[in-house]
Amino acid sequence: MTEASNPKKLTLYVAGQTPKSLAAIANLKTITEEHMPGQYEIEVVDLRQNPKLAKEHSIVAIPTLVRELPVPIRKIIGDLSDIEKVLVNLKVQGE
Amino acid sequence: MSDEIAELRRRLAEAEDTLRAINQGDVDALVVGEANDPQVFDIGGGADAYHAFMEVMNVGAVAIDQDGRVLYANANLGGALGLTHNSLQGKLMSEVAPAPVALAVDRLLVPPLVGPVSTEVSFERGGEQLHFILAATPLRLSTTLGVAVTFTDVTERVRAEAAEQSERAARAVIASANEAVLVCDRQGIITHANGAAHAVFSGELLGRVFAEAVPLVFPDATGLITAEDIVQMAIQGTAVQGVEAHAPNAPKVKDYLVSAAPLQIGNDAISGCVVTMVDMSQRKAAEKQQLLLMRELDHRVKNTLALVLSISSRTLHHEDTLEGFQKAFTGRIQALAATHNLLAENSWTNLTIEDVVQSELAPYTSGAAGRLVTRDLGRPMAPRAAIAFGLVIHELATNATKYGALSVPGGQLTVQPLPPREGDDRFIIEWRESGGPPVKAPTRNGFGQTVIARSLQYSATGGAEVEFAPEGLVCRIALPLEDLH
Repeated sequence: MTEASNPKKLTLYVAGQTPKSLAAIANLKTITEEHMPGQYEIEVVDLRQNPKLAKEHSIVAIPTLVRELPVPIRKIIGDLSDIEKVLVNLKVQGE
Repeated sequence: MSDEIAELRRRLAEAEDTLRAINQGDVDALVVGEANDPQVFDIGGGADAYHAFMEVMNVGAVAIDQDGRVLYANANLGGALGLTHNSLQGKLMSEVAPAPVALAVDRLLVPPLVGPVSTEVSFERGGEQLHFILAATPLRLSTTLGVAVTFTDVTERVRAEAAEQSERAARAVIASANEAVLVCDRQGIITHANGAAHAVFSGELLGRVFAEAVPLVFPDATGLITAEDIVQMAIQGTAVQGVEAHAPNAPKVKDYLVSAAPLQIGNDAISGCVVTMVDMSQRKAAEKQQLLLMRELDHRVKNTLALVLSISSRTLHHEDTLEGFQKAFTGRIQALAATHNLLAENSWTNLTIEDVVQSELAPYTSGAAGRLVTRDLGRPMAPRAAIAFGLVIHELATNATKYGALSVPGGQLTVQPLPPREGDDRFIIEWRESGGPPVKAPTRNGFGQTVIARSLQYSATGGAEVEFAPEGLVCRIALPLEDLH
Protein backbone atom coordinates (compact mmCIF):
# COMPACT_ATOMS: atom_id res chain seq x y z
CA MET A 1 0.00 0.00 0.00
CA THR A 2 2.86 2.36 0.72
CA GLU A 3 5.04 1.21 -2.16
CA ALA A 4 4.21 4.14 -4.36
CA SER A 5 4.97 6.72 -1.70
CA ASN A 6 8.23 5.10 -0.51
CA PRO A 7 10.11 3.99 -3.58
CA LYS A 8 12.80 1.42 -2.93
CA LYS A 9 16.22 1.93 -4.39
CA LEU A 10 17.89 -0.07 -7.12
CA THR A 11 21.52 0.53 -7.94
CA LEU A 12 22.85 -0.43 -11.34
CA TYR A 13 26.61 -0.66 -11.66
CA VAL A 14 27.95 -0.08 -15.18
CA ALA A 15 31.33 0.49 -16.78
CA GLY A 16 31.03 3.52 -19.04
CA GLN A 17 29.40 2.61 -22.31
CA THR A 18 30.24 -1.01 -22.80
CA PRO A 19 27.58 -2.84 -24.84
CA LYS A 20 26.29 -4.74 -21.78
CA SER A 21 26.15 -1.56 -19.73
CA LEU A 22 24.09 0.23 -22.34
CA ALA A 23 21.79 -2.77 -22.69
CA ALA A 24 21.37 -3.09 -18.91
CA ILE A 25 20.42 0.59 -18.52
CA ALA A 26 17.84 0.39 -21.31
CA ASN A 27 16.42 -2.94 -20.10
CA LEU A 28 16.09 -1.80 -16.50
CA LYS A 29 14.31 1.33 -17.61
CA THR A 30 11.85 -0.73 -19.63
CA ILE A 31 11.24 -3.24 -16.84
CA THR A 32 10.56 -0.69 -14.13
CA GLU A 33 8.38 1.48 -16.35
CA GLU A 34 6.31 -1.39 -17.66
CA HIS A 35 6.10 -3.75 -14.71
CA MET A 36 6.54 -1.73 -11.53
CA PRO A 37 6.01 1.96 -12.19
CA GLY A 38 6.82 4.21 -9.26
CA GLN A 39 8.01 1.38 -7.01
CA TYR A 40 11.72 1.85 -7.49
CA GLU A 41 14.14 4.68 -7.59
CA ILE A 42 17.07 3.90 -9.86
CA GLU A 43 20.64 5.00 -9.42
CA VAL A 44 23.15 4.22 -12.12
CA VAL A 45 26.74 4.09 -10.87
CA ASP A 46 29.47 4.31 -13.48
CA LEU A 47 32.43 2.46 -11.98
CA ARG A 48 34.70 3.68 -14.75
CA GLN A 49 34.27 7.18 -13.35
CA ASN A 50 34.61 6.07 -9.76
CA PRO A 51 35.88 2.49 -9.29
CA LYS A 52 35.96 2.81 -5.51
CA LEU A 53 32.16 2.72 -5.34
CA ALA A 54 32.42 -0.99 -6.22
CA LYS A 55 33.43 -1.63 -2.68
CA GLU A 56 30.08 -0.77 -1.12
CA HIS A 57 28.33 -3.72 -2.71
CA SER A 58 31.44 -5.79 -3.44
CA ILE A 59 30.86 -5.55 -7.18
CA VAL A 60 33.05 -7.84 -9.29
CA ALA A 61 31.30 -8.23 -12.62
CA ILE A 62 29.71 -5.46 -14.64
CA PRO A 63 26.88 -4.84 -15.20
CA THR A 64 25.28 -5.75 -11.86
CA LEU A 65 21.97 -4.64 -10.43
CA VAL A 66 21.70 -4.43 -6.62
CA ARG A 67 18.51 -4.37 -4.57
CA GLU A 68 19.37 -3.35 -1.01
CA LEU A 69 15.97 -3.31 0.60
CA PRO A 70 14.17 -5.19 1.78
CA VAL A 71 16.82 -7.50 3.10
CA PRO A 72 18.31 -9.82 2.13
CA ILE A 73 20.28 -7.88 -0.45
CA ARG A 74 19.94 -9.22 -4.01
CA LYS A 75 22.30 -8.98 -6.97
CA ILE A 76 21.45 -9.63 -10.59
CA ILE A 77 24.46 -9.94 -12.85
CA GLY A 78 24.23 -9.35 -16.61
CA ASP A 79 22.45 -7.03 -19.05
CA LEU A 80 18.96 -7.76 -17.60
CA SER A 81 17.71 -9.03 -20.96
CA ASP A 82 15.95 -11.96 -19.25
CA ILE A 83 12.99 -9.97 -17.96
CA GLU A 84 11.37 -12.94 -16.14
CA LYS A 85 14.53 -13.59 -14.17
CA VAL A 86 14.77 -9.94 -13.14
CA LEU A 87 11.14 -9.81 -12.05
CA VAL A 88 11.46 -13.00 -9.97
CA ASN A 89 14.53 -11.62 -8.23
CA LEU A 90 13.04 -8.22 -7.51
CA LYS A 91 9.70 -9.49 -6.24
CA VAL A 92 10.79 -11.30 -3.08
CA GLN A 93 8.17 -13.56 -1.58
CA GLY A 94 6.03 -12.02 1.12
CA GLU A 95 6.13 -8.58 -0.36
CA MET B 1 26.65 -19.20 14.38
CA SER B 2 23.75 -20.04 12.14
CA ASP B 3 23.67 -16.40 10.96
CA GLU B 4 27.32 -16.69 10.00
CA ILE B 5 26.63 -19.88 8.09
CA ALA B 6 23.72 -18.19 6.30
CA GLU B 7 25.94 -15.25 5.40
CA LEU B 8 28.63 -17.59 4.10
CA ARG B 9 26.04 -19.47 2.04
CA ARG B 10 24.82 -16.21 0.58
CA ARG B 11 28.35 -15.14 -0.33
CA LEU B 12 29.05 -18.51 -1.87
CA ALA B 13 25.88 -18.31 -3.94
CA GLU B 14 26.85 -14.82 -5.05
CA ALA B 15 30.34 -15.92 -6.00
CA GLU B 16 28.89 -18.81 -7.99
CA ASP B 17 26.45 -16.43 -9.69
CA THR B 18 29.29 -14.12 -10.65
CA LEU B 19 31.38 -16.94 -12.07
CA ARG B 20 28.43 -18.30 -14.01
CA ALA B 21 27.70 -14.83 -15.43
CA ILE B 22 31.33 -14.37 -16.48
CA ASN B 23 31.34 -17.86 -17.94
CA GLN B 24 28.21 -17.28 -19.95
CA GLY B 25 29.38 -13.93 -21.26
CA ASP B 26 26.67 -11.99 -19.44
CA VAL B 27 29.11 -9.31 -18.38
CA ASP B 28 31.69 -7.30 -20.30
CA ALA B 29 33.66 -5.59 -17.53
CA LEU B 30 35.22 -6.62 -14.22
CA VAL B 31 36.35 -4.79 -11.14
CA VAL B 32 39.82 -5.97 -10.21
CA GLY B 33 42.64 -4.89 -7.93
CA GLU B 34 43.01 -4.32 -4.26
CA ALA B 35 40.09 -3.16 -2.23
CA ASN B 36 41.62 0.29 -1.81
CA ASP B 37 42.51 0.70 -5.43
CA PRO B 38 40.00 -1.09 -7.60
CA GLN B 39 40.03 -0.69 -11.37
CA VAL B 40 37.55 -1.49 -14.09
CA PHE B 41 38.75 -3.75 -16.92
CA ASP B 42 36.81 -4.42 -20.08
CA ILE B 43 36.59 -8.02 -21.18
CA GLY B 44 37.85 -8.39 -24.74
CA GLY B 45 39.33 -4.93 -25.03
CA GLY B 46 37.98 -1.55 -24.16
CA ALA B 47 35.15 0.21 -25.94
CA ASP B 48 37.45 3.20 -26.44
CA ALA B 49 39.47 1.34 -29.04
CA TYR B 50 36.55 0.64 -31.33
CA HIS B 51 35.03 4.05 -30.63
CA ALA B 52 38.25 5.71 -31.77
CA PHE B 53 38.40 3.45 -34.79
CA MET B 54 34.83 4.30 -35.79
CA GLU B 55 35.48 8.02 -35.40
CA VAL B 56 38.28 8.03 -37.98
CA MET B 57 36.12 6.30 -40.58
CA ASN B 58 35.07 8.78 -43.26
CA VAL B 59 31.61 7.23 -43.56
CA GLY B 60 28.77 7.10 -41.06
CA ALA B 61 29.10 4.05 -38.82
CA VAL B 62 27.04 2.54 -36.05
CA ALA B 63 27.47 -0.53 -33.85
CA ILE B 64 24.13 -2.09 -32.98
CA ASP B 65 23.34 -5.01 -30.70
CA GLN B 66 20.98 -7.77 -31.74
CA ASP B 67 17.95 -5.89 -30.46
CA GLY B 68 18.72 -2.94 -32.72
CA ARG B 69 20.10 -0.83 -29.85
CA VAL B 70 22.80 1.68 -30.69
CA LEU B 71 26.03 0.78 -28.86
CA TYR B 72 28.00 3.48 -30.54
CA ALA B 73 27.45 5.85 -33.46
CA ASN B 74 30.25 7.96 -34.87
CA ALA B 75 29.98 11.71 -35.34
CA ASN B 76 29.79 11.26 -39.09
CA LEU B 77 26.55 9.31 -38.75
CA GLY B 78 25.11 11.77 -36.24
CA GLY B 79 25.73 14.49 -38.79
CA ALA B 80 24.20 12.46 -41.61
CA LEU B 81 21.03 11.75 -39.66
CA GLY B 82 20.92 15.22 -38.16
CA LEU B 83 21.25 13.81 -34.60
CA THR B 84 23.67 14.33 -31.76
CA HIS B 85 25.85 11.56 -30.37
CA ASN B 86 23.99 11.57 -27.05
CA SER B 87 20.57 11.25 -28.61
CA LEU B 88 21.64 8.04 -30.35
CA GLN B 89 23.57 6.19 -27.64
CA GLY B 90 21.64 3.33 -26.05
CA LYS B 91 18.53 4.01 -28.11
CA LEU B 92 16.80 1.71 -30.55
CA MET B 93 17.29 2.77 -34.17
CA SER B 94 13.51 2.85 -34.57
CA GLU B 95 13.26 5.47 -31.81
CA VAL B 96 15.76 7.95 -33.16
CA ALA B 97 16.48 7.45 -36.85
CA PRO B 98 14.20 8.68 -39.65
CA ALA B 99 11.61 6.00 -40.48
CA PRO B 100 13.11 4.95 -43.85
CA VAL B 101 16.53 4.50 -42.21
CA ALA B 102 15.10 2.46 -39.30
CA LEU B 103 13.25 0.25 -41.79
CA ALA B 104 16.38 -0.25 -43.86
CA VAL B 105 18.35 -1.26 -40.75
CA ASP B 106 15.57 -3.70 -39.83
CA ARG B 107 15.85 -5.21 -43.29
CA LEU B 108 19.57 -5.68 -42.79
CA LEU B 109 19.23 -7.24 -39.34
CA VAL B 110 16.96 -10.06 -40.47
CA PRO B 111 18.70 -13.21 -39.21
CA PRO B 112 20.71 -15.18 -40.03
CA LEU B 113 23.09 -12.33 -40.64
CA VAL B 114 26.22 -13.75 -42.17
CA GLY B 115 28.74 -11.74 -44.11
CA PRO B 116 28.14 -8.25 -45.34
CA VAL B 117 24.70 -7.32 -46.71
CA SER B 118 23.70 -3.96 -48.09
CA THR B 119 20.68 -1.90 -49.02
CA GLU B 120 19.91 1.57 -50.32
CA VAL B 121 17.87 4.15 -48.51
CA SER B 122 16.76 7.70 -49.19
CA PHE B 123 15.23 10.10 -46.71
CA GLU B 124 14.60 13.78 -46.18
CA ARG B 125 16.70 15.96 -43.94
CA GLY B 126 15.87 19.64 -43.68
CA GLY B 127 13.96 19.63 -46.96
CA GLU B 128 16.77 17.86 -48.79
CA GLN B 129 16.51 14.35 -50.24
CA LEU B 130 19.55 12.28 -49.24
CA HIS B 131 20.64 8.89 -50.52
CA PHE B 132 22.76 6.39 -48.59
CA ILE B 133 24.03 2.88 -49.12
CA LEU B 134 23.89 0.86 -45.87
CA ALA B 135 26.18 -2.13 -45.41
CA ALA B 136 25.95 -4.44 -42.39
CA THR B 137 28.53 -6.88 -41.11
CA PRO B 138 28.22 -9.09 -37.99
CA LEU B 139 30.52 -8.00 -35.20
CA ARG B 140 31.52 -9.25 -31.79
CA LEU B 141 32.14 -6.56 -29.20
CA SER B 142 33.72 -8.32 -26.22
CA THR B 143 30.92 -10.61 -24.98
CA THR B 144 28.14 -9.04 -27.06
CA LEU B 145 27.15 -10.06 -30.56
CA GLY B 146 26.29 -7.09 -32.67
CA VAL B 147 26.25 -5.63 -36.14
CA ALA B 148 28.34 -2.87 -37.64
CA VAL B 149 26.42 -0.77 -40.14
CA THR B 150 28.15 1.75 -42.36
CA PHE B 151 26.32 4.60 -44.10
CA THR B 152 27.90 5.77 -47.35
CA ASP B 153 26.53 9.04 -48.68
CA VAL B 154 25.72 8.62 -52.38
CA THR B 155 23.51 11.71 -52.63
CA GLU B 156 25.88 13.50 -55.00
CA ARG B 157 26.17 10.48 -57.24
CA VAL B 158 22.40 9.94 -57.34
CA ARG B 159 21.86 13.62 -58.09
CA ALA B 160 24.50 13.59 -60.80
CA GLU B 161 22.87 10.52 -62.35
CA ALA B 162 19.45 12.17 -62.21
CA ALA B 163 20.85 15.36 -63.75
CA GLU B 164 22.56 13.39 -66.49
CA GLN B 165 19.36 11.46 -67.16
CA SER B 166 17.30 14.62 -67.41
CA GLU B 167 19.89 16.21 -69.69
CA ARG B 168 19.82 13.10 -71.86
CA ALA B 169 16.01 13.30 -71.93
CA ALA B 170 16.15 16.99 -72.85
CA ARG B 171 18.59 16.25 -75.65
CA ALA B 172 16.37 13.43 -76.89
CA VAL B 173 13.34 15.72 -76.83
CA ILE B 174 15.13 18.34 -78.91
CA ALA B 175 16.54 15.72 -81.27
CA SER B 176 13.18 14.11 -81.88
CA ALA B 177 11.24 17.35 -82.31
CA ASN B 178 9.69 17.77 -85.75
CA GLU B 179 10.53 21.45 -85.71
CA ALA B 180 13.99 22.68 -86.52
CA VAL B 181 15.59 23.64 -83.19
CA LEU B 182 18.76 25.74 -83.22
CA VAL B 183 20.59 26.96 -80.13
CA CYS B 184 22.81 30.04 -80.41
CA ASP B 185 25.32 31.51 -77.98
CA ARG B 186 25.40 35.18 -76.98
CA GLN B 187 27.20 36.04 -80.22
CA GLY B 188 24.45 34.46 -82.30
CA ILE B 189 26.67 31.53 -83.29
CA ILE B 190 24.92 28.17 -83.61
CA THR B 191 26.04 25.75 -80.88
CA HIS B 192 23.40 23.02 -81.18
CA ALA B 193 21.07 21.94 -83.98
CA ASN B 194 18.71 18.99 -84.15
CA GLY B 195 18.09 16.68 -87.09
CA ALA B 196 15.14 18.68 -88.40
CA ALA B 197 17.36 21.78 -88.53
CA HIS B 198 19.12 20.38 -91.59
CA ALA B 199 16.01 21.22 -93.58
CA VAL B 200 16.86 24.92 -93.22
CA PHE B 201 20.49 24.69 -94.31
CA SER B 202 22.24 21.98 -96.28
CA GLY B 203 25.73 22.26 -94.78
CA GLU B 204 27.24 22.07 -91.29
CA LEU B 205 25.35 24.45 -89.01
CA LEU B 206 27.48 24.35 -85.87
CA GLY B 207 29.88 27.26 -85.48
CA ARG B 208 28.15 29.43 -88.09
CA VAL B 209 26.45 32.73 -87.42
CA PHE B 210 22.71 32.04 -87.44
CA ALA B 211 21.72 35.09 -89.46
CA GLU B 212 24.27 34.19 -92.17
CA ALA B 213 23.43 30.49 -92.33
CA VAL B 214 19.68 31.02 -92.24
CA PRO B 215 18.78 34.44 -93.63
CA LEU B 216 15.09 35.11 -93.13
CA VAL B 217 12.66 37.42 -94.86
CA PHE B 218 9.62 38.49 -92.87
CA PRO B 219 6.89 39.36 -95.36
CA ASP B 220 4.71 41.02 -92.74
CA ALA B 221 7.52 43.26 -91.51
CA THR B 222 8.28 44.83 -94.91
CA GLY B 223 12.01 44.31 -94.58
CA LEU B 224 12.33 45.98 -91.19
CA ILE B 225 13.26 42.80 -89.31
CA THR B 226 16.05 40.38 -90.17
CA ALA B 227 17.09 37.02 -88.75
CA GLU B 228 19.82 38.83 -86.80
CA ASP B 229 17.23 41.07 -85.11
CA ILE B 230 15.21 38.05 -83.98
CA VAL B 231 18.30 36.41 -82.45
CA GLN B 232 19.41 39.64 -80.77
CA MET B 233 15.98 40.24 -79.27
CA ALA B 234 15.95 36.75 -77.77
CA ILE B 235 19.50 37.08 -76.40
CA GLN B 236 18.48 40.36 -74.76
CA GLY B 237 15.58 38.61 -73.06
CA THR B 238 12.59 39.22 -75.33
CA ALA B 239 10.92 36.11 -76.69
CA VAL B 240 9.66 36.26 -80.26
CA GLN B 241 6.69 34.02 -80.95
CA GLY B 242 5.32 32.56 -84.16
CA VAL B 243 6.43 35.02 -86.83
CA GLU B 244 5.91 33.92 -90.44
CA ALA B 245 9.16 33.94 -92.34
CA HIS B 246 10.55 32.97 -95.70
CA ALA B 247 13.93 31.25 -95.79
CA PRO B 248 15.25 31.79 -99.34
CA ASN B 249 18.41 29.71 -98.79
CA ALA B 250 16.65 26.66 -97.32
CA PRO B 251 17.07 23.65 -99.59
CA LYS B 252 13.49 22.38 -99.64
CA VAL B 253 10.84 24.01 -97.50
CA LYS B 254 11.03 27.78 -97.52
CA ASP B 255 8.06 28.94 -95.45
CA TYR B 256 8.43 28.77 -91.67
CA LEU B 257 6.83 29.93 -88.48
CA VAL B 258 9.79 31.21 -86.47
CA SER B 259 10.00 31.57 -82.68
CA ALA B 260 13.01 32.58 -80.59
CA ALA B 261 13.38 32.46 -76.82
CA PRO B 262 16.17 33.44 -74.44
CA LEU B 263 18.19 30.48 -73.16
CA GLN B 264 18.57 30.62 -69.41
CA ILE B 265 20.07 27.67 -67.54
CA GLY B 266 19.04 27.60 -63.88
CA ASN B 267 19.28 31.08 -62.39
CA ASP B 268 22.26 32.07 -64.48
CA ALA B 269 22.28 34.98 -66.88
CA ILE B 270 20.97 34.47 -70.42
CA SER B 271 23.56 32.39 -72.22
CA GLY B 272 22.07 32.51 -75.69
CA CYS B 273 18.82 31.76 -77.43
CA VAL B 274 16.77 28.91 -78.84
CA VAL B 275 15.26 29.35 -82.29
CA THR B 276 12.52 26.98 -83.47
CA MET B 277 11.27 26.90 -87.03
CA VAL B 278 8.01 25.13 -87.89
CA ASP B 279 7.43 24.01 -91.48
CA MET B 280 4.57 26.12 -92.87
CA SER B 281 4.39 24.52 -96.30
CA GLN B 282 1.51 22.27 -95.33
CA ARG B 283 -0.41 25.17 -93.86
CA LYS B 284 0.25 27.23 -96.96
CA ALA B 285 -0.96 24.35 -99.12
CA ALA B 286 -4.10 24.04 -97.01
CA GLU B 287 -4.74 27.77 -97.39
CA LYS B 288 -4.36 27.48 -101.16
CA GLN B 289 -6.74 24.52 -101.24
CA GLN B 290 -9.27 26.48 -99.23
CA LEU B 291 -9.07 29.43 -101.59
CA LEU B 292 -9.58 27.07 -104.52
CA LEU B 293 -12.63 25.52 -102.90
CA MET B 294 -14.15 28.92 -102.20
CA ARG B 295 -13.76 29.93 -105.84
CA GLU B 296 -15.29 26.64 -106.93
CA LEU B 297 -18.22 27.15 -104.58
CA ASP B 298 -18.74 30.67 -105.89
CA HIS B 299 -18.75 29.32 -109.44
CA ARG B 300 -21.27 26.62 -108.62
CA VAL B 301 -23.63 28.95 -106.81
CA LYS B 302 -23.57 31.32 -109.77
CA ASN B 303 -24.28 28.43 -112.15
CA THR B 304 -27.14 27.23 -110.01
CA LEU B 305 -28.69 30.69 -109.79
CA ALA B 306 -28.45 31.05 -113.57
CA LEU B 307 -30.09 27.64 -113.97
CA VAL B 308 -32.89 28.59 -111.57
CA LEU B 309 -33.46 31.85 -113.45
CA SER B 310 -33.62 30.00 -116.74
CA ILE B 311 -35.99 27.33 -115.35
CA SER B 312 -38.19 30.09 -113.95
CA SER B 313 -38.47 32.08 -117.16
CA ARG B 314 -38.94 28.98 -119.33
CA THR B 315 -41.60 27.54 -117.06
CA LEU B 316 -43.40 30.89 -117.14
CA HIS B 317 -43.40 30.72 -120.93
CA HIS B 318 -45.00 27.29 -121.08
CA GLU B 319 -47.53 27.43 -118.28
CA ASP B 320 -50.85 29.18 -118.69
CA THR B 321 -51.93 29.52 -115.07
CA LEU B 322 -50.22 30.61 -111.90
CA GLU B 323 -51.06 27.25 -110.27
CA GLY B 324 -49.56 25.39 -113.22
CA PHE B 325 -46.43 27.54 -113.02
CA GLN B 326 -46.07 27.01 -109.27
CA LYS B 327 -46.42 23.25 -109.55
CA ALA B 328 -44.04 22.85 -112.47
CA PHE B 329 -41.50 25.31 -111.10
CA THR B 330 -41.50 23.79 -107.60
CA GLY B 331 -41.11 20.28 -109.06
CA ARG B 332 -38.11 21.34 -111.14
CA ILE B 333 -36.41 23.16 -108.29
CA GLN B 334 -37.00 20.09 -106.10
CA ALA B 335 -35.43 17.91 -108.79
CA LEU B 336 -32.43 20.22 -108.78
CA ALA B 337 -32.33 20.07 -104.99
CA ALA B 338 -32.47 16.24 -104.98
CA THR B 339 -29.36 15.97 -107.15
CA HIS B 340 -27.69 18.67 -105.05
CA ASN B 341 -28.42 16.72 -101.89
CA LEU B 342 -26.89 13.63 -103.40
CA LEU B 343 -23.82 15.54 -104.44
CA ALA B 344 -23.47 17.17 -101.04
CA GLU B 345 -23.78 13.81 -99.28
CA ASN B 346 -20.99 12.52 -101.48
CA SER B 347 -18.86 15.66 -100.94
CA TRP B 348 -19.24 16.66 -104.58
CA THR B 349 -17.50 13.57 -105.82
CA ASN B 350 -18.85 11.49 -108.67
CA LEU B 351 -22.35 9.98 -108.49
CA THR B 352 -23.44 6.88 -110.35
CA ILE B 353 -26.22 6.99 -112.92
CA GLU B 354 -28.21 4.67 -110.65
CA ASP B 355 -27.90 7.14 -107.73
CA VAL B 356 -29.48 9.95 -109.77
CA VAL B 357 -32.25 7.78 -111.25
CA GLN B 358 -33.24 6.39 -107.86
CA SER B 359 -33.17 9.77 -106.19
CA GLU B 360 -35.28 11.52 -108.85
CA LEU B 361 -37.84 8.71 -109.13
CA ALA B 362 -38.18 8.04 -105.42
CA PRO B 363 -41.28 10.29 -105.01
CA TYR B 364 -43.10 8.45 -107.85
CA THR B 365 -42.16 4.81 -107.43
CA SER B 366 -42.01 4.35 -103.69
CA GLY B 367 -44.63 1.89 -102.47
CA ALA B 368 -44.94 0.36 -105.94
CA ALA B 369 -42.25 -2.26 -106.07
CA GLY B 370 -41.37 -3.57 -109.49
CA ARG B 371 -42.59 -0.53 -111.43
CA LEU B 372 -39.04 0.71 -111.91
CA VAL B 373 -36.46 -1.65 -113.37
CA THR B 374 -32.86 -0.46 -113.69
CA ARG B 375 -29.93 -2.36 -115.14
CA ASP B 376 -26.17 -1.72 -115.29
CA LEU B 377 -26.30 1.87 -114.16
CA GLY B 378 -23.19 1.68 -111.94
CA ARG B 379 -21.10 4.07 -114.04
CA PRO B 380 -20.02 7.23 -112.17
CA MET B 381 -20.34 10.70 -113.68
CA ALA B 382 -19.13 14.20 -112.85
CA PRO B 383 -21.37 16.60 -110.84
CA ARG B 384 -22.11 18.73 -113.92
CA ALA B 385 -23.56 15.76 -115.81
CA ALA B 386 -25.39 14.54 -112.70
CA ILE B 387 -27.28 17.85 -112.32
CA ALA B 388 -28.32 17.96 -116.00
CA PHE B 389 -29.21 14.25 -116.08
CA GLY B 390 -31.24 14.71 -112.89
CA LEU B 391 -33.33 17.45 -114.53
CA VAL B 392 -33.98 15.25 -117.59
CA ILE B 393 -35.10 12.32 -115.43
CA HIS B 394 -37.35 14.67 -113.47
CA GLU B 395 -39.10 15.88 -116.64
CA LEU B 396 -39.54 12.32 -117.90
CA ALA B 397 -40.94 11.20 -114.55
CA THR B 398 -43.37 14.14 -114.38
CA ASN B 399 -44.58 13.35 -117.86
CA ALA B 400 -44.93 9.63 -117.08
CA THR B 401 -46.98 10.45 -113.99
CA LYS B 402 -49.30 12.74 -115.93
CA TYR B 403 -49.72 10.83 -119.19
CA GLY B 404 -47.53 7.75 -119.27
CA ALA B 405 -46.69 4.49 -117.53
CA LEU B 406 -46.80 5.94 -114.03
CA SER B 407 -50.34 7.33 -114.54
CA VAL B 408 -51.99 3.89 -114.38
CA PRO B 409 -51.55 0.91 -112.11
CA GLY B 410 -49.41 -1.81 -113.71
CA GLY B 411 -47.42 0.58 -115.85
CA GLN B 412 -43.68 -0.11 -115.90
CA LEU B 413 -40.47 1.80 -116.41
CA THR B 414 -37.12 0.36 -117.54
CA VAL B 415 -33.89 2.35 -117.45
CA GLN B 416 -30.74 0.74 -118.86
CA PRO B 417 -27.79 1.52 -121.13
CA LEU B 418 -28.12 0.65 -124.80
CA PRO B 419 -25.54 -1.78 -126.15
CA PRO B 420 -22.73 0.06 -128.04
CA ARG B 421 -23.37 0.44 -131.78
CA GLU B 422 -21.03 0.42 -134.73
CA GLY B 423 -19.91 3.91 -135.72
CA ASP B 424 -21.45 5.53 -132.64
CA ASP B 425 -19.31 5.72 -129.55
CA ARG B 426 -21.80 7.68 -127.46
CA PHE B 427 -22.98 6.26 -124.16
CA ILE B 428 -26.75 6.11 -124.29
CA ILE B 429 -29.22 5.43 -121.49
CA GLU B 430 -32.65 4.25 -122.60
CA TRP B 431 -35.80 5.25 -120.72
CA ARG B 432 -38.62 2.97 -121.81
CA GLU B 433 -42.19 3.05 -120.54
CA SER B 434 -44.66 0.17 -120.96
CA GLY B 435 -48.12 -0.84 -119.77
CA GLY B 436 -49.37 2.73 -119.85
CA PRO B 437 -52.14 4.34 -121.92
CA PRO B 438 -51.56 4.62 -125.72
CA VAL B 439 -49.09 7.40 -126.46
CA LYS B 440 -49.86 10.34 -128.78
CA ALA B 441 -47.32 12.93 -129.72
CA PRO B 442 -48.12 16.25 -128.00
CA THR B 443 -49.50 19.07 -130.06
CA ARG B 444 -47.01 21.60 -128.73
CA ASN B 445 -43.52 21.43 -127.27
CA GLY B 446 -43.65 21.94 -123.52
CA PHE B 447 -40.76 23.18 -121.49
CA GLY B 448 -40.22 19.59 -120.35
CA GLN B 449 -39.22 18.63 -123.83
CA THR B 450 -36.91 21.59 -124.14
CA VAL B 451 -35.16 20.58 -120.90
CA ILE B 452 -34.87 17.00 -122.07
CA ALA B 453 -33.49 17.97 -125.43
CA ARG B 454 -31.10 20.68 -124.34
CA SER B 455 -29.85 19.87 -120.83
CA LEU B 456 -27.03 17.64 -121.92
CA GLN B 457 -26.12 19.53 -125.05
CA TYR B 458 -23.33 21.40 -123.28
CA SER B 459 -21.15 18.70 -124.78
CA ALA B 460 -20.89 17.40 -128.34
CA THR B 461 -21.43 13.83 -127.11
CA GLY B 462 -24.39 14.73 -124.89
CA GLY B 463 -28.09 15.11 -125.72
CA ALA B 464 -31.45 13.36 -125.62
CA GLU B 465 -34.27 12.47 -128.00
CA VAL B 466 -37.83 11.42 -127.25
CA GLU B 467 -39.78 8.88 -129.30
CA PHE B 468 -43.56 8.85 -128.77
CA ALA B 469 -44.06 5.16 -129.57
CA PRO B 470 -47.74 4.17 -129.17
CA GLU B 471 -46.97 1.32 -126.71
CA GLY B 472 -44.92 3.56 -124.49
CA LEU B 473 -42.64 6.61 -124.50
CA VAL B 474 -38.96 5.96 -125.19
CA CYS B 475 -36.21 8.45 -124.44
CA ARG B 476 -32.56 7.96 -125.36
CA ILE B 477 -30.22 10.05 -123.27
CA ALA B 478 -26.61 10.42 -124.38
CA LEU B 479 -24.32 11.27 -121.46
CA PRO B 480 -21.31 13.44 -122.30
CA LEU B 481 -18.28 11.14 -122.55
CA GLU B 482 -15.88 13.58 -120.86
CA ASP B 483 -18.05 13.54 -117.71
CA LEU B 484 -18.24 9.76 -117.47
CA HIS B 485 -15.64 7.81 -115.56
